[in-house]
Amino acid sequence: MVDLARVQKELHECNRDFQVSGINVSLKGDSLTHLIGTIPGPTGTPYEGGTFNIDITLTDGYPFEPPKMKFATKVWHPNISSQSGAICLDILKDQWSPALTLKTALLSIQALLSAPEPDDPQDAVVAQQYLRDHQTFVGTARYWTETFAKTSTLAADEKVHKLVEMGFPEAQVRSTLAATGWDENMALEKLLSS
Amino acid sequence: MEDYGSSDEDIYSSDQDSLDGLENDESDSQWGSSTGNSCKVITRESLLVAQREDLWRVTDLLSLREHHARTLLIHYRWDVERLLAVLVEKGKNCLFAEAGVPVLEEVDVDSYVSSSTVTCDICIEEVAGSEVTKMDCGHCFCNDCWTEHFIVKIKEGQSKRIRCMAHKCFAICDEAVIRQLVSKRHPDLAEKFDRFLLESYIEDNKMVKWCPSIPHCGNAIRVERDEFCEVECSCGLQFCFSCLSEAHSPCSCWMWELWTKKCQDESETVNWITVHTKPCPKCHKPVEKNGGCNLVSCICGQAFCWLCGGATGRDHTWSSISGHSCGRYKEDQEKKSERAKRDLYRYMHYHNRYKAHTDSFKQESRLRETIKEKVANLESKDSRLRDFSWVTNGLYRLFRSRRALSFSYPFAFYIFGDDLFKDEMTNAEKEIKQHLFEVQQQQLEANVEKLSKAFEEPFDDYEETHIMEMRMQVLNLSVVTDTLCKKMYECIETDLLGALQFSSHNIAPYQSKGIERATELNGGRSAKANNIIPCQKAHDQTNGGSIEFVQPSGCGTSDEIGCSSRKRTRKDSGGGFFDLNLPAELIDRN
Ligand SMILES: [Zn+2]
Ligand SMILES: [Zn+2]
Ligand SMILES: [Zn+2]
Ligand SMILES: [Zn+2]
Ligand SMILES: [Zn+2]
Ligand SMILES: [Zn+2]
Ligand SMILES: [Zn+2]
Repeated sequence: MVDLARVQKELHECNRDFQVSGINVSLKGDSLTHLIGTIPGPTGTPYEGGTFNIDITLTDGYPFEPPKMKFATKVWHPNISSQSGAICLDILKDQWSPALTLKTALLSIQALLSAPEPDDPQDAVVAQQYLRDHQTFVGTARYWTETFAKTSTLAADEKVHKLVEMGFPEAQVRSTLAATGWDENMALEKLLSS
Repeated sequence: MEDYGSSDEDIYSSDQDSLDGLENDESDSQWGSSTGNSCKVITRESLLVAQREDLWRVTDLLSLREHHARTLLIHYRWDVERLLAVLVEKGKNCLFAEAGVPVLEEVDVDSYVSSSTVTCDICIEEVAGSEVTKMDCGHCFCNDCWTEHFIVKIKEGQSKRIRCMAHKCFAICDEAVIRQLVSKRHPDLAEKFDRFLLESYIEDNKMVKWCPSIPHCGNAIRVERDEFCEVECSCGLQFCFSCLSEAHSPCSCWMWELWTKKCQDESETVNWITVHTKPCPKCHKPVEKNGGCNLVSCICGQAFCWLCGGATGRDHTWSSISGHSCGRYKEDQEKKSERAKRDLYRYMHYHNRYKAHTDSFKQESRLRETIKEKVANLESKDSRLRDFSWVTNGLYRLFRSRRALSFSYPFAFYIFGDDLFKDEMTNAEKEIKQHLFEVQQQQLEANVEKLSKAFEEPFDDYEETHIMEMRMQVLNLSVVTDTLCKKMYECIETDLLGALQFSSHNIAPYQSKGIERATELNGGRSAKANNIIPCQKAHDQTNGGSIEFVQPSGCGTSDEIGCSSRKRTRKDSGGGFFDLNLPAELIDRN
């Protein structure tokens, strides 16, 4: 059985310092085993300005087994599959420790966006480009960020603003919007039912 | 070749039931004190004892607790020498860190065992101080979380190295804590954990392997120095320690694997050609072989050689085969154009001889009962002759030499063939070496057949003087075949395999006294190990502890016979053992 008490505590903890970290974890549906994580693209990288959704599934062994994470947002990165979103990161495999949390794992993924490891690639095509034609790589990564990881900022801010005006706290509004793929109506429904 | 595997079992089983009595006398004197690799049988019961010997060497030397010593040894695959080398080279801290053993054990163990509560960083709960456990690395978590972690890891099959739960802590958890916590919730899993730890001694250890017997006898065999050797488990199975198939020297493991595969593949082609009977060269009637000797005679009186089918003259005594040279394979010039056909004939040449000798071996094995009876007959007679050990000793010499001879054919097939060692020898070199080898092989073959022939004689009906003559003959032939076997192994190891530049083949060294029987590991030895301080001394004792005999003056031959053919093991017999297996007067004779 998943340690539900711990997952709940983790969610609470994570969303509390959302303002600082920019990292958000929320429920995808009703179950505590299927979650959505959101990380902002690190500044100074081709991912800057993007918001990346990570699909999280918790196995029965969690936290003694690592959470299963993959990108739900398409991303151009040597260690992330451009097709499936699978992530090549040691702490999600044999280097996982029960002392790590969803938040620390997401922070590690964010760090991976800043510092790719092309020698241990998940996507060979991207890794090749990264090493041989860095300029094209940066261009493609940036293009993918623009295309897939950005809800037009104006529209997004508008949605947040609207919901905040209805009396919901901004952090909760942002996380709910992220979890629903920035669908205003679904977010409102969720906010009302929570 | 399908029948080959099953009939091999016959050999092993017949080894056991029919010859226990005969062989025991012999083997007691053979392996009791001195030679060999000192192989040990490790049974389920003695596994713990076997492990302890190595554990104690490490705990004593490094003043460690047992579970830390085990962690170190598992990391270094139970190679104590390598562990000590790392210790000398890199120092204790590095040795420990690499294996996940905490360098400094925390002393403030009881700081948590206070009445106050502690927050467990895994479940993020407040837990009573009595419900948490602190590992040697200093990390402390609640018992429920530890237990869950251990269970997940044991189920993942990682029992041997369960790491601490803290991120980036590489310390290996205390097995006693694991055992204690897991057994509370999951007793059978705790048992499984114990077994994994215990069996690591076999599974992670280059010098220990499970006996390949089917059904499994439950034993493992430990060798002391050389993994290229042949051993006999206490269940009676003889096998090559290196590849775990049947004993096959002087064939290398690789050659043997290829050969058995080839025999299976070619069996259908060969079966219709190789028949179990051979036509008499005179009257052409099929003649079946019914003795171990490769000289057969037809009812018409014609004697001929089973190997090549050629007539060998009316007089088919053991001496008439010495001029016979059919063991030499001559390439048929006419067949050169048809390579495939030639290859098949080449293979058949070697296979026929290999098969003839293994068949002889099987038949001779069956002869043991008859020989036993003959000896019993002789012993019941009122005679001055008392000692008939020369009969059994001679018979065992025959078995060993026959074995070496049969496996020398697949060896020759590969070493002089075109496939494996194409770039190793020029054709001219090959021709010279092949000639050299075949001369030796034939000498051995001739003498093995003579020895085999001798045992067919109805010697239990002979007069005393006649028996004495035969005894001398058997003794002489035993010495000669032993020497020839040893020379053949030397030729193989030095001139043939030793000269290879592009590949490396190792064979089990020649054991004049036959395949070594692994002895039971007994508690006595480990009790001794318990008291040994310092450990380096213990090591010297176990490795160099063989009893040396003072060489009697002027016993050149016997000293030669006793030693193994391999150069690098030579130093073991440097003091000059004499062969306990040989009758005293033979040693005196020189
Ligand atoms: Zn806990
Ligand atoms: Zn630790
Ligand atoms: Zn066995
Ligand atoms: Zn082998
Ligand atoms: Zn005939
Ligand atoms: Zn004969
Ligand atoms: Zn012949």
